[in-house]
Amino acid sequence: MLNMKRIKQNAPAIPILVWIGLLVGIPLIYVLMLSLLSRDNLGNIVFEFTLDNYRRIFDPVYLKVFLNSFLLATLTGLITLFIGYPVAYFTAGLEPRKRSYAIVLIILPFWISSLLRTYGWIILLGNTGLLNNLLMKLNIINAPLPMMYSFGTVLVGTTYMLIPFMIIAIFNSVDKLDRSLLEASSDLGAGKWRTFFKITLPLTMPGIAGGFTLVFIPSLGMFFISDLLGGGQNIFLGNLINSLVTKGRNRPLASAFSVGMIGLVLLVLFIYSRITKNKKEGLFL
Amino acid sequence: MTQKLQPLLQLKGINKYYGSSHILKDISFDIMDGEFLTLLGPSGCGKTTILRCIAGLEEIDSGDILLNGASIKNLAPNKRNVNTVFQNYALFPHLNVYDNVAYGPRVKKTMSEKVLRERIADVLGLVQMEGYEDRMSHQLSGGQRQRVAIARALINKPDILLLDEPLGALDLKLRKHMQTELAHLQKQAKTTFVYVTHDQEEALNMSDRIVVLHMGEIQQLGNPRDIYNNPKNLFVADFIGDRNIKRVKVLERHDKYAKIQLGSSILGVKCSGSVAGPCDSGETAILAIHMDKMKISCSELSNSLSGQVMSVHYAGSQIKTEISVEDEIITVIEYQNNECDYNVGDKVYVAWEESGAVLLPVEEHAEGGNA
Repeated sequence: MLNMKRIKQNAPAIPILVWIGLLVGIPLIYVLMLSLLSRDNLGNIVFEFTLDNYRRIFDPVYLKVFLNSFLLATLTGLITLFIGYPVAYFTAGLEPRKRSYAIVLIILPFWISSLLRTYGWIILLGNTGLLNNLLMKLNIINAPLPMMYSFGTVLVGTTYMLIPFMIIAIFNSVDKLDRSLLEASSDLGAGKWRTFFKITLPLTMPGIAGGFTLVFIPSLGMFFISDLLGGGQNIFLGNLINSLVTKGRNRPLASAFSVGMIGLVLLVLFIYSRITKNKKEGLFL
Repeated sequence: MTQKLQPLLQLKGINKYYGSSHILKDISFDIMDGEFLTLLGPSGCGKTTILRCIAGLEEIDSGDILLNGASIKNLAPNKRNVNTVFQNYALFPHLNVYDNVAYGPRVKKTMSEKVLRERIADVLGLVQMEGYEDRMSHQLSGGQRQRVAIARALINKPDILLLDEPLGALDLKLRKHMQTELAHLQKQAKTTFVYVTHDQEEALNMSDRIVVLHMGEIQQLGNPRDIYNNPKNLFVADFIGDRNIKRVKVLERHDKYAKIQLGSSILGVKCSGSVAGPCDSGETAILAIHMDKMKISCSELSNSLSGQVMSVHYAGSQIKTEISVEDEIITVIEYQNNECDYNVGDKVYVAWEESGAVLLPVEEHAEGGNA
């Protein structure tokens, strides 16, 4: 029998559940189903069960794309961490007014379309770009440096695009750090560096893990950055899936790769949950 | 042997400002080796700031701090051989009890892990926390955390242990228990304690000496009995113990005794040696009498006030009686063995022990703030 009281109590959650169910759950099931089906030569879906799409992940060509993407996401995570940690640490130590200015500056790029900002990098790094022009004018170089269309260029793009997430995640962690713990460490004889590595770093690990997760996941799928900055020379998962759907007309294979990518994301989330286990702090707190 | 006479820690004319507010005003006092010294005062009096200055967590604007005769005012906290028990204990949440206690020795690399293990066993034994080595701080109660914080500090064998209201977060019963235990622990560990509290009872219970602070200034420094019985000024009289505080007129003075007028009654009061000033005839002075050193009688006594019983409150073993004497209200605290049976509205006489009353100079600024 339906319990009216319970329904009433949980009523506010219903729109959210419907929303998630319709827009996340159903597409996910759709992708899962597609990944197990075949297609004919024209790209139409054929209702014929197969695991072949998954098998092709281990095809050396595609496996390399997976590894490439994993490498890009990991490197993006690490670089944003090493740049973002000092920035976040410094920002958290500012007096309240300066701190709000700093946070606005960190978030400011979000107000401009990320596509535009990616084009900005082309203007900056291209063969006839600002940087090359400047270096040539100063006679430091004779021919333009090829800075575009490499793995490194894509890495610069993803790092630039995602670093605010890292900074904000770590900032929250550092901000919540009880200052008396640092005083206690100093009181017990530890110097600044020792206090940092023994107290600050372990206690801000949830922020680091959260930031890493927030950076790692999107950098797996930001196909427009590798399209524009990588120039199709380096293929990443996002591009691959995108082109399999739009050009290759192979949605089952694209679906299988998508599921593979979700697998990578789940792996990272699993590691994140292990790191933040038993800690009161969560990703979005 | 002359070295023994040198104080362990000397504060010399310390001043401290936060912006334009003068937090510590010319603070000077000595701490002797092995002493339990308490900094007592209401919140905002600067007691915690003094503690933090000794620890090195705050810089001083002028003056000097000498530890064993050598200035430590320019040393970083980690270079001073003093340790602090913080108000919230500040146990490292990611380390268990063992690693928390081991933190200091490991940082200083003063002992091998084997010796360290023995030392930790000793010090955890001292605070009665054996068997808790593997617990994390969130798995401990407030009292247990406090013991670990003390152990973590004591293991470093500091010259001075600084304690910042360590009992503040505990419930009343545990607080009373820990008072006894702390005083005991201090004697056992043979370590000098500097203890900060706003609780006069705590201070009187545990300390060898008390520094009473108010608005960044030392009001009085002395042993608990002295502070309790012979307050130097109105602030101390009002802050410590429950007293009736009345403005009186000194009529005449005979050596150590003065005749005063309270309302229309003429009474004799003993002048304590240190406060000869207000005892001079013709002056207005403050009479402060301990509520629990007064007694109520149904028949007239010499040197007593007469009045009417306004209210009687029973509070456990105590009876708190309010008596109106002319325009004044006098409060008396007695224990339940009174031979005189009185009720609200009855006429009674109030007298007090000689040691229970003091005459103090009138301080306009202090009176306004604390009366």
